[in-house]
Amino acid sequence: MSDIQSALRERARELLEDGKVEYVIGWESARGEDKTRPAFIRKAEDAGRLVWNRFCVNSTAKYLLHDRWPKGKIAVCARGCDTRAINRMLSDGQIKRENVYILGIPCEGVENKICQRCAHRNPLVYDELLGESVEEKTDFDRFANVREMQEMTLEQRRKMWEDEFTKCIRCYACRNVCPACSCRECYADQYRTGWQGKQFNSVENRVYGLTRAYHVGDRCIECGECERVCPMDLPIMLQTGKMLMQCNELFGDYECGLSADEIPALGTYNLNDADSFG
Amino acid sequence: MSRTGVFVCHCGSNIAGALDVERVAAAAGKLPGVRYAASYKYMCSEQGQQLVKDAIAEHELDRIVIASCSPRMHENTFRKLLKDTPVNPYMLEIANIREQCAWVHADREQATEKAVDLVRMAVAKVAKNKPLHSSFIPVHKKALVIGAGIAGIQAALDIADAGYEVTLLEKESSIGGHMVMLDKTFPTLDCSACISTPKMSEVAAHPNITLMTGSTVESVGGYVGNFDVAIRQKARYVNHDICTGCGLCETKCPAKVTSEFNQALCTRTAVFRPFPQAVPAKPVIDPESCRKLIGKAKCGVCQAVCPLGAIDFEDKDKLITDTYGAIVVATGYELVDWAPLYPEYGGGKYSDVITGLQYERLVNASGPTEGKILRPSDKSVPKDVVIVKCVGSRDKKKGRAYCSRACCMYSAKHAHQILEKIPGARVTVFYMDVRTPGKNYEEFYDRAREDGARYVRGRVAKIFRENGKLICRGEDTLLGRGVEVPADMVILETAMTPAQDIRELCAKLTISTDEYGWVQEAHPKLRPVETQTAGVYLAGACQGPKDIPDTVAQAGAAAAKVCILFSKNEIEGSPMISAVDENKCCGCSACVRVCPYRAVMLEEIDSRELSGAVKRQVARVNAGLCQGCGACAASCRTGAIDLLGFTNAQILKEVDALCL
Repeated sequence: MSDIQSALRERARELLEDGKVEYVIGWESARGEDKTRPAFIRKAEDAGRLVWNRFCVNSTAKYLLHDRWPKGKIAVCARGCDTRAINRMLSDGQIKRENVYILGIPCEGVENKICQRCAHRNPLVYDELLGESVEEKTDFDRFANVREMQEMTLEQRRKMWEDEFTKCIRCYACRNVCPACSCRECYADQYRTGWQGKQFNSVENRVYGLTRAYHVGDRCIECGECERVCPMDLPIMLQTGKMLMQCNELFGDYECGLSADEIPALGTYNLNDADSFG
Repeated sequence: MSRTGVFVCHCGSNIAGALDVERVAAAAGKLPGVRYAASYKYMCSEQGQQLVKDAIAEHELDRIVIASCSPRMHENTFRKLLKDTPVNPYMLEIANIREQCAWVHADREQATEKAVDLVRMAVAKVAKNKPLHSSFIPVHKKALVIGAGIAGIQAALDIADAGYEVTLLEKESSIGGHMVMLDKTFPTLDCSACISTPKMSEVAAHPNITLMTGSTVESVGGYVGNFDVAIRQKARYVNHDICTGCGLCETKCPAKVTSEFNQALCTRTAVFRPFPQAVPAKPVIDPESCRKLIGKAKCGVCQAVCPLGAIDFEDKDKLITDTYGAIVVATGYELVDWAPLYPEYGGGKYSDVITGLQYERLVNASGPTEGKILRPSDKSVPKDVVIVKCVGSRDKKKGRAYCSRACCMYSAKHAHQILEKIPGARVTVFYMDVRTPGKNYEEFYDRAREDGARYVRGRVAKIFRENGKLICRGEDTLLGRGVEVPADMVILETAMTPAQDIRELCAKLTISTDEYGWVQEAHPKLRPVETQTAGVYLAGACQGPKDIPDTVAQAGAAAAKVCILFSKNEIEGSPMISAVDENKCCGCSACVRVCPYRAVMLEEIDSRELSGAVKRQVARVNAGLCQGCGACAASCRTGAIDLLGFTNAQILKEVDALCL
């Protein structure tokens, strides 16, 4: 890992010195050695602040949406999951490839439980790759948690979700961090439209949870950021996982964010689609 | 506050008989925003309409709700009425208390309550209606007819005779379709070629018709009045500008392949005209069987013998684009490939088990036997002939539940011809039912029986060879016993199926098909030649199995619809289409992908953002293409698209009115 870190600092410095990029999005240490935060490096002399270690949990890609019309290129440190997020936003027409310079980082997993179910540790798209590719994991069940939930009775499931949504404080952190959430004005923030009641109760929380799941379900890149940032520990990935599992059952192998020109399963129709909805 | 008028229709006893209309009107009068509520026996009648007009004037109503039948029935009636008043025609909602209430409920009390609910929803919705105004689209007065069988030919001639330009497209190298393959036509027994070839030459000579053979539709863009169509004209390898159709090349070509026109009963050459009366009467080279073009041999004999140098092996496909105001689909039918479906009939291994269309070629004077009925295996005259009807039709197990409609008459004709042409012949017809609903049809069927055709009610279960005969084993369901009929030749009256590539063509035209692939009409009774896409019409068997008289009639109807469209310089577009709120749109193109009419596109706009003036992409709806289906509105996560007349706000108000 330290090899990658020094290569990263070196390349970030060069890119900034040569004026090839406006700034570099990566990670820096904060509040102790075992924590990092996203870093935005604009000056070559600050490149030494960049770190790469197992505490680099934040997704870097979503920050690209905060600067949709940059003056120059933005360099972004991207692991497999971050490149899937970049593909997501490219496919959704939210960013332009020519605005991004991708520093690909092969990743063997960071301090995030979702990494145990990661099938893409190597970046899928990059302008340059730092370090050597790592072996991909295949020895896991991508939908183990969904299958576990399906074991429960209908009544148990209803109770579980009722309890979970009662906990939700509607901070919208799951939305803010999601690379599939790119609306200019989220339906949940709109007032006087009648979509989302502003009341804070389990019913309105559930409306939010279900609507969110449907809005992103067939475009979820499985980075798990929604669950990681949730202050109330809601099992948010269970919902999108369920939708992805069904997409797999209905439409064949289905994984999002593998390329920039993919089309969401529920956003298209072709004559050979299975009609067995139920 | 809105000033709504509610008008409850009795529809004679249709509604008033099943629920208490007076109570519905009284309840409506108490709803917020309602200034006037009344009921009347027939709201759609002259007097009923006057009542609405008077109430608008007297109570200064600014929107109305009619509680009556389905909006498909009379929404337009009331829209037209509003044109003569200060109220915009789209400040109208229909509460369907007939089909969706009176007709489906037996309990008067509950039906009345439901009617009140439906009216309350409509009142809530109409409060959110906004005035809408039609747009006008110019009409390009040139028609495209796809398919040049009898349907396409008739439609093209009718449109051309009305004075409009027509392009007639045919994928084969000659026009004529199935009709020119037939020998005689029921019930009058006039020669099929004699009545269709004059129409073919009329097409070729008509100043308003451009004929394009060997051509298919590559892509379709645009909308009613303005379709942009790209047509692929396959390479012919024969320059038709030079060729005189002398036919010398055909006599010298060494390649022999089975003749499609003669239903594989004989061969043709690689440079060929499918039949002598072909239009255009000039040959083309089939690149799949030409020895030179497949690279098997140097050959080039045709090029050597052609006195005019018309053979051009370098010919390439051409892509031609043009704009059309209307499109007529007349792609016809194909016959089901029966062999794989019927192993019990030998699955094609007995050459004397033939299809009805093969029989037509056998009995046709221009066919391979010059009109003599000789069975394919040994060219002998068959004495015992069995005709099997409904092969592939009316049989769910074989994949088609529908009736092919023409075969009952077709088989009576075959029986009649055999009995007439072969002295001492015996004809047995296996049938499920005999369906003769047409002018002079029953009489024709009687005639076949009087000629001596033996009709046996039942399906043939098995055909097998024994002692040089084909044994047809089946059941006579009227006598309730098994029968075995020995035959020298068996004719299978096979099912009609849609053209193979019809679904692909329909996708290009954004029209739909049913489960079998027959093209879907806009309404089975009231709009039988229209489709869901404005400006695209149907003629002939592409819409469902048909005989020649029905096909010609429908082609005339489709032509009339085209002429109606072309009689105006511009057409009024519905204002109930999608609208994009550019401020909200993030350009994700979800709507672009789901639009079945390709009406939504991304467009770059200038936008002021926090980072300054930028260019960004937003969805844009083409008013001419949009059919108001609302798929885009449903797909938009941020709610940036609204379907005018069915806005999110309107629908949510309706839901609130019912649930809160």
